[in-house]
Amino acid sequence: MSEALPDFKLIRPTSLDEALNALTAQPNTRLCAGGTDLIVNMRRGLETPDVLVDLGAISDLKTITMDDKGLRIGAGVTLRDLAGHAGIAGAFSAITQAANAIAGPNHREVATLGGNLCLDTRCQYYNQSHWWRKSNDFCLKYRGDICHVAPNGNRCRAAFSGDLAPALIVFGAKVEIAGPDGVRSCDLADLYREDGADHLTLTKDEIVIAVQIPPTDAASAYDKIRVRGAVDFPLAGVAVACRTDASGARHFALAVTGTNSMPLRVDMPDPLGKDDDPDSYFKALEKLVQKAVSPQRTSTIAPHYRRLSASALSARLARALI
Amino acid sequence: MNIPTRTGAAGQPLPLIDGIEKVTGQAIYTADMDGRDALTGRILRSPVSHGRIVNIDTSKALALDGVMAIVTGDDCALTYGVIPIAMNEYPMARDIVRYRGEPLAAVAARDAATAERALELIEVQIEELPAYYTPSDSRAPDAVQLHENKPGNLEREVHHSFGDITAGFAEADLIREEVFDCAEINHAQLEPHAALADYDVERDRLTLHTVSQVPFYVHLTLARCLDMDSSQIRVVKPFVGGGFGARTETLNFEIIVALLARKVGAKVMMRLTREESFVTHRGRPQTKVSLKIGLTKTGQITAVDCEVVMAGGAYAGYGLVTILYAGALLHGIYTVPNVKYDGYRVYTNTPPCGAMRGHGTVDVRHAFECILDRMARDLGLDPFAVRRANLLEAPMFTANGLMINSYGLGECLDKVRAASGWDTRKGNMPAGRGLGMACSHYVSGAAKPVHWTGEPHAVVSMKLDFDGSVTVLTGASDIGQGSTTIVAIAAAEILSIDMARIRVVTNDSVITPKDNGSYSSRVTFMVGNAAIEAAKALREKLVNAAAKKLEVAPDDIECEGETFFVAGATQSVLTFQEVAIAALAEEGTITVKGTFSTPIKAQGGGHRGGAVGSTMGFSYAAQVVEVEVDADTGQIQVHKVWAALDCGFAINPLAVEGQIEGSVWMGLGQGLCEETHYEDGLPSHANFLDYRFPTIAESPDIDVQIVETIDPLGPFGAKEAGEGALSGFPPALVNAVADAAGLDANFLPMTPDRVLAALIKLRKAARKAKRNKEALI
Amino acid sequence: MKRIVALTLNGRATEDAIAGNTLLIDYLRDTHGLTGAKKGCDGGECGACTVLVDGRPRLSCITLAASCEGTKVETIEGQAKAGRLSALQRAFHENLGTQCGFCTPGMILSATSLLRTNPDPDTDEIKTALGGNLCRCTGYVKIIQSVKAAAKAGENP
Repeated sequence: MSEALPDFKLIRPTSLDEALNALTAQPNTRLCAGGTDLIVNMRRGLETPDVLVDLGAISDLKTITMDDKGLRIGAGVTLRDLAGHAGIAGAFSAITQAANAIAGPNHREVATLGGNLCLDTRCQYYNQSHWWRKSNDFCLKYRGDICHVAPNGNRCRAAFSGDLAPALIVFGAKVEIAGPDGVRSCDLADLYREDGADHLTLTKDEIVIAVQIPPTDAASAYDKIRVRGAVDFPLAGVAVACRTDASGARHFALAVTGTNSMPLRVDMPDPLGKDDDPDSYFKALEKLVQKAVSPQRTSTIAPHYRRLSASALSARLARALI
Repeated sequence: MNIPTRTGAAGQPLPLIDGIEKVTGQAIYTADMDGRDALTGRILRSPVSHGRIVNIDTSKALALDGVMAIVTGDDCALTYGVIPIAMNEYPMARDIVRYRGEPLAAVAARDAATAERALELIEVQIEELPAYYTPSDSRAPDAVQLHENKPGNLEREVHHSFGDITAGFAEADLIREEVFDCAEINHAQLEPHAALADYDVERDRLTLHTVSQVPFYVHLTLARCLDMDSSQIRVVKPFVGGGFGARTETLNFEIIVALLARKVGAKVMMRLTREESFVTHRGRPQTKVSLKIGLTKTGQITAVDCEVVMAGGAYAGYGLVTILYAGALLHGIYTVPNVKYDGYRVYTNTPPCGAMRGHGTVDVRHAFECILDRMARDLGLDPFAVRRANLLEAPMFTANGLMINSYGLGECLDKVRAASGWDTRKGNMPAGRGLGMACSHYVSGAAKPVHWTGEPHAVVSMKLDFDGSVTVLTGASDIGQGSTTIVAIAAAEILSIDMARIRVVTNDSVITPKDNGSYSSRVTFMVGNAAIEAAKALREKLVNAAAKKLEVAPDDIECEGETFFVAGATQSVLTFQEVAIAALAEEGTITVKGTFSTPIKAQGGGHRGGAVGSTMGFSYAAQVVEVEVDADTGQIQVHKVWAALDCGFAINPLAVEGQIEGSVWMGLGQGLCEETHYEDGLPSHANFLDYRFPTIAESPDIDVQIVETIDPLGPFGAKEAGEGALSGFPPALVNAVADAAGLDANFLPMTPDRVLAALIKLRKAARKAKRNKEALI
Repeated sequence: MKRIVALTLNGRATEDAIAGNTLLIDYLRDTHGLTGAKKGCDGGECGACTVLVDGRPRLSCITLAASCEGTKVETIEGQAKAGRLSALQRAFHENLGTQCGFCTPGMILSATSLLRTNPDPDTDEIKTALGGNLCRCTGYVKIIQSVKAAAKAGENP
C-alpha cells in the first residue's frame, strides 16, 4: 500500500550504445520502455531498481520498415503506432488485432512492442500490494519460498500475459537483441522459458531492439478471452496464421498466451488437405490446444475455463481463416 | 400536495448546478484539499483473519525520524457502529482481530515514505484463531465465536410470517423451489476513501473533512469515540466521488485520522489506496436465497417461502437492517398474501459488509424474478402476463404493513414491452440470442431513520438578503446523484424565480442544518419536501410584503415569474427585487426553514423489525434485456436494455434518466462480472483489474422511459429514481440467457467460466437424456 | 536526485526541480495545485488521471514527470478558454455526462484527444477511445451522448 515510488536514479539515453552502457554501469539497473507495467509494479513494491534506464528517447528504436525482405519493427514502436500501421494491418492482421487488444487506449499511447514482449509474468499472488504479499508470506517469484499456485511444484507458475508475442510467433518472427558484444538474433519463441520467475532468456546486459518477420502470404488472426471489452489482460489469447500451398492444402501455425509462463507455440497436425473434412480437423486442433496449454490458478478465473476457452477460440479463429 | 406548474423549474431537464466545477476540474474532493501543512496518516492492517492480539510494539517506529504520532487500539476503547444496538467495532482492533485488513495501528508522519517505513517497524504479535469464510463454516457446531455475545456466529436471525403459507401453497397449481447463490460485491465508487482531520489544541476542537454520505453519523461517532462534546466538532463534506452506500456508515479511517490529529495536535491527511478502499468494504454480502413460490394456473402468487443466509463479514455494521430489508421487500411490488421469511445474518472473518445500492433487496428480487419467469414458462404464460396477474392497486397497505400510495408498475410493463418489440421478437430471435425481463422496486427513504430522536426527518433553511439572492442551506449530501440541484429546483419552482438567483450551501455542520444523509433514496422525497416548505414560508413573507406595498390583501397577490401583481390589475407590477426590499424592511435579512416528517402510518407494521422497508412511496421499474450467448466461450454480450421506472414525478428528468441508466448499469455489473474473491481472507480482488466493473466497451445502450404516477406525499409527486431499477437487471439478464441458451442459471455473476461450465453440464445432461430415451426405444 | 525539467503546462512555460521518481500526477497536483487529475486506483487501472502530453492521452499516475521534459502538458484546468467551457466540457455538463465528477477530467481529456483526430466519431470509435476510462455512475450512456454532442457543436477541441 505504497503511495510513493521508491527512490531511483533516472537515466534517459538518446542512443542504444548509451543505453547499453548505462545498463551495465551500476548494479540493480532496470530498463523501462512505456512503463505501463513496470511503474505499476514499482508502485506495488515489486521492483526496486537503483537506476532506471528510460528507453523512450531513443528514436532509432521507433521505426517500422516493410519491404520485400519482410517486416522489421523497432522495439520502441508504441502499440498505438503499431496498431495504426496500414501495411501491417493489411499483411499481418494478427499483429494489428493483438496490438489493439492490449490494455486500454491510453496505455497503448506509450506502451511499446519491446515492453509487451518483455512483460513481466502475472499472478494473483504476485500482482498485489506489499501488505498483501507479506501477509501471505510472499511467493516463489518474489521474496518467498513457495509457489501458492502449485505449492508442491518447484517453479513459479505466473502466467505470461503479453498479447503480441503469439501474434508474432505464428509468423516465425525473429527477435534482435543488442548486448555488449553486438547484436544477436534468435527465434522469438526462444526469448522465453517456462518459468514464471525467470521467463526471459535475456541476460541482464541485453536489450530487445527489434522483431523481424519474413515476407508471408499467410492469413492471420488474433483474439483473446477476457471478461470485459477493454483493459483486461488475456485469460487466454490465441494467434493463428494460415498459409495455403499450391495443392490447396492449409498449413496452420498457432500460438497461445495467458495460459503458461511463456507464449506457447502449439505444434499443428498435418495440413488440412483440400479434400479433408474440416470439422474433424478443427475438432482435432481443438483437442490439441486443450492438451498443450496448462493454465494454473494464477487469476481469479478458473484455470479449466481458460483451457477450454483457449481451445475453442483456437478452432474458431483457424476455421475463420479457411 | 404541490402540483408543479410545468412552466417553472420543476420538470425541466436541467444540468447539475455544481456541474461546471466537475467539468473544469475546480471541484475539490477530500483528497484534493491542500495538505501541504498536514502530516500523512497511514494505517497498519492485520495480516491474519482471526486472532488474539498479544502485543503491538510501536517503539521502533516511534523512534524513526519524521514519525510524529502512532495510535493503536489502546487509544480508543469505545465501540462504534451505525446501528445503536449493534455497535461492536473498534476503530482499531483491541484484543481480537477479526479480518485481514482490519486496522491495528496508525502512523502520522512527515511524508508518505516515512509513514510507510514506520508501518514496517511496528512489531505485531498475534495468536491465530480459527477463521471462517462461509456461513456454513461459521455456523458449524464447534466453531469459535467471533463475538462473545453472538452464539452460533449469528448476528441476527429474522422470522416473519404473514398470512398462511400452508393454505397458500395448497391453493397453488404449480410450486417451484430453487436456491440462488449471489456473490459478494463492492461499491467501487471511483474516489478512494480520504479524510483530513485538523485538531485545534488550544480550543480542543476538531474539524474533519471527509467523503461521507452521512456526515452527521460521522459527527456523532467522532464525539463518541473521541469522547468529545459534539459541539466541539465540525464535519465538512467536500465534493464526493460516488458512494452507492459505501459511505453511509462511519468508517474506521475517519475516526483513526481524528485520533491521530488529536494525538499529534495538528492536521493529518489520510488518503487510502484503492486496495484499502476495497478492504474498508461495507458492500453487498454473499447471499444464498432459497425461495419457493406457489402460483395458480393463471399466474397468481398464492404463497412465498423464502430463506436468506448472508455472509456478513466480521462486524455488525448495517447487517441487521440488510437481513430485515431482504424479507420486508418481498412485499410491496406484487400481491403476496401469504409470505414466510427466515433470514440469517452470519459473521465471517472477512471485511464487514454493509449497505449497497438496492440495500437488502437485490439478491432476493433476483431469485424471485428468475423463478417467476421459469414458472411462467412451465405454465405456458407470457412473462409479462405473470407479472400483470399480480399487480397491486394503490392506495393500499401490504401484508407486512408497508404503505403504498402510488403504483406505476403496470405502465412500466407496457412501456418496455412496446419499446423492446417483445411481442414480435420474443421467440423469433436468431440462435444464441434472447430476451428476458424482470421487475423491481425500491423505497423512497426509510420512514423511520436509524437514529430515531423524534425530530423532523429533514430540515432546509433559506435566506433572502439585501442583494435579492436566495441562499438555500441543506445538510443533504450530494454524492453525484444531483440532490443539490433538486433542492435548488424545488426552491425556484415554489418561489417562481430564476434558478440563477439561487445558491445552495451544503454539508458544513457549523453552517447547514442537520440532515439524515444520503441513504435509502431519501433525499429527493424528504429534503425535497422540506425545501418546498421552506420556499413556501419565504414566499408567504414576500406575498405579504407585496400586498402591503400594493395595499391589497395577500390573497389578491399573484405571481408570474419574478413579478408580483394584484389579480386582475396588471398595471401595478412589482419586481422580485422591489418585493424583497419591502420584505426586508419589515424584519431585515429573512431566514426561514421548512421541515418534513414522515406520517406515522408510513412507518411500517408493528412486528419486530417492522420499520425496515417502510417508506412513503416505492419506485417501480420494469426492464427488458437482450443478450447474445457464445456457446463456445460462455461469454455474454448484452446488446440492449429497455428500462421504465415510475419515479412519481421527474423533478429533473435529465437526472432521473442518469440515475436509471446508472442503476441499470450497476445491476449489469453485478449480473455479468462483479464479485469479490478472498484467498483465506485476503482480498484478491482489491483493484480494478480483478474487480471487473464494466468498461464503456461492453456496456450496452440503455433506453429509458419515465413513468409518472404523482405520489400524493412526494415533493411535486416525486419518488425515488436512483435504486429501483438496479435489482431488475440481474434477473432480466438470467432470464434472457435462459431464452438464448436454454440455461437456467442460479448463480451471480454470470462470468464466462461459470456460464461455460453450466452450459457443458446442460449439454451432458441432454446427451444422457437422449441416450436413455434411445435405450428405452 | 532532482533535475530541472522544463515543459509547457496549459500553455505556460514552467521549470521545476523534479526528482526522478516523481510521477506526473504528483507533480501536477503537489507542485502546481492542479488537482483535476485524480487517483482512482493504485496504478493504471481507471483512467481518472488522464492528461494530455503533446496532445495525446497519458496516464499521469504511471508516467514519470521527468520523462515529460520538453513536452506540452494539458490538464482539465487548461481546457476552458477565457473562462468559457470547451465544447466537450459544455457537452458533458449539459448532457449529464458527469455525475459524481471523479472520472470526468480524465474522460473529457481522452475525448478531447479523440475529437482532435476524429471530429465526428461513431459510437464504436468513442467506445474504443474511452475504453480505459472507467466511470461508476453514468453507465456511460450519457458520456457517449456528450461526446457526440460536442462533435456536433463542431468547435475545435
